[in-house]
Amino acid sequence: MKIERRIILSNTFNVALLVLIGLFAIQNLNLLLTKLRFVEIADDLNASFLEMRLSEKNYFLYSDESALFEIRGKIGKTMDSIEAMKNDISRAIGEDNFRTLTFYLKRYSDKVEEVRRKGGSEQLETQLREEGKKLKEFSEAITLLERQRANEIISNSKKALFYSFFAILFLAVLMSHLISQKIVRSLREIERLALAISEGNFGKIEKITTGDELASVIKAINFMSHELRNREEEIIQSKKLASLGILTAGVAHELTNPLNNISMIAQTYTELYGKLSTEERLDFMQKVEGETERIREIVKNLLDFSKPKEANLREADLNAVVQGGLRLVQNALDVSKIETKVTLGRGLPHVLVDEHQVQQVLVNLVVNAIQAMSPGGELFIATRYDKKRRSLEIEVKDTGKGIPAEFLPHVFDPFFSTKDAGGTGLGLSVSYGIIKNHRGNIRVESRVGSGTTFTIELPAYKKEEEKER
Amino acid sequence: MSPRIMVIDDEKIVGDMAKMSLEQEGYAVETFTSAEPALERLAQEKFDVVVTDLKMKGIDGMEVLRTVKRLYPETKVIMITAFANLDAAIEALRAEVHDFFPKPVKIKELKTSIQRALGK
Repeated sequence: MKIERRIILSNTFNVALLVLIGLFAIQNLNLLLTKLRFVEIADDLNASFLEMRLSEKNYFLYSDESALFEIRGKIGKTMDSIEAMKNDISRAIGEDNFRTLTFYLKRYSDKVEEVRRKGGSEQLETQLREEGKKLKEFSEAITLLERQRANEIISNSKKALFYSFFAILFLAVLMSHLISQKIVRSLREIERLALAISEGNFGKIEKITTGDELASVIKAINFMSHELRNREEEIIQSKKLASLGILTAGVAHELTNPLNNISMIAQTYTELYGKLSTEERLDFMQKVEGETERIREIVKNLLDFSKPKEANLREADLNAVVQGGLRLVQNALDVSKIETKVTLGRGLPHVLVDEHQVQQVLVNLVVNAIQAMSPGGELFIATRYDKKRRSLEIEVKDTGKGIPAEFLPHVFDPFFSTKDAGGTGLGLSVSYGIIKNHRGNIRVESRVGSGTTFTIELPAYKKEEEKER
Repeated sequence: MSPRIMVIDDEKIVGDMAKMSLEQEGYAVETFTSAEPALERLAQEKFDVVVTDLKMKGIDGMEVLRTVKRLYPETKVIMITAFANLDAAIEALRAEVHDFFPKPVKIKELKTSIQRALGK
């Protein structure tokens, strides 16, 4: 459901609840008004009944006939006013109580009539008093009851309003929490991807559970990531083309020097042939061999660079790959008196790699590290698994002279070299290509004087991925 | 006294070969693989010809040429380079280079050039 619709729905729900509470409050107020109106009437009635009873007392004390007329008059008036306000009263106290009240009044009225006709006997007197008392007591009782009910209504409304305030507050908070929770979860996913993209990992968000606006955002970001990956490949390709220009110049210089050396050796050899000793001749030829090797190395790197071999991907244990690669450079490490400390992570997931290519990268990095260090230097090699990013890392850390900050962004550029002698400037560039080809990443941190750390990231191998490839 | 020749090239083989071959002609040859010690040596002793590579780490051949021409105008400079381009050649000519050779260098041509430089 769209977030917009969800918000509207929750607001509608809350408004409906408010309306209900409002209606309830109005109804309570109406009822309260009715009750109060009755209490007002009842006070009048009670006053009339009291007057009747006073006249009744006068009659019995002083046998004053006129008192009976007074009572009759009052009864008549009271009956009239009860009749007039019949609706209000019966609504407040109910039909039954109303009938009881009029019944008591009627009986009292009848008794008064009887006393007036027959004259005051002791028996009638008692009966009249009895009826008067009943009337008054009943009237007072229901007045009291109604007062109580009015109080109850007020306190109930108070409670109801109080609780519904909290209910609405709770619902509103709950709904906004639920909605924001969903948004936040999606945003976190997006944030994660954006971070990965900024580091050059053009993945995508696999799970799109919601059908809301964020789903469209996620789809857009996935598309963007996909496009970025394509663009990056295009850029790498065009970078390669651009570096072809540098390549021509680079090759000219790189190849011309050893060629010139061979040429000069040959010329000197020819010129001095008769004068050279056997040792000198052999030395000349060894030099030629050495220069040829230099050319061969340059050409090999050029080929690797211009046409990276198709990676032969196999599921492999990264630690085994690293150990295999280290065996290749062990001799060089021993000769340079570099101490190597290897820390292999335990229980690493497998990777899908071309073992030889990854070893080539490792060898490149180790050889660079050796060249950056003086004898007695230390080389740290570690493997580990980053669960959050689902990637494995190989770290190659040296204690060499470091790379100046201004060179760092260029270390993976073709033909970039900081080495005084040798070095084609292609090793890291080729390594970069290989790791990118493995959907991985290679990064460098360095500090002049304290050393350089290269980190290779490779994605953990998931069985499903094989189908995708 | 035999003419003194200095060869500066960061490729050691160039100096070694040039020295062997030029000594056959009776020249006194000294070689350096970078410009700094070469310039120090020039301050001590007069050389007739300096053969220098153009592209080197630190002080490059063009700077060697200018320094030599400024301090020892009689010393001839011959430049050799793996980076044979017109701009560098023109720049060197303006700085009064005696000759300019692209690598690979023909030693015979280099010898002829040195002879000319020595006024023979």
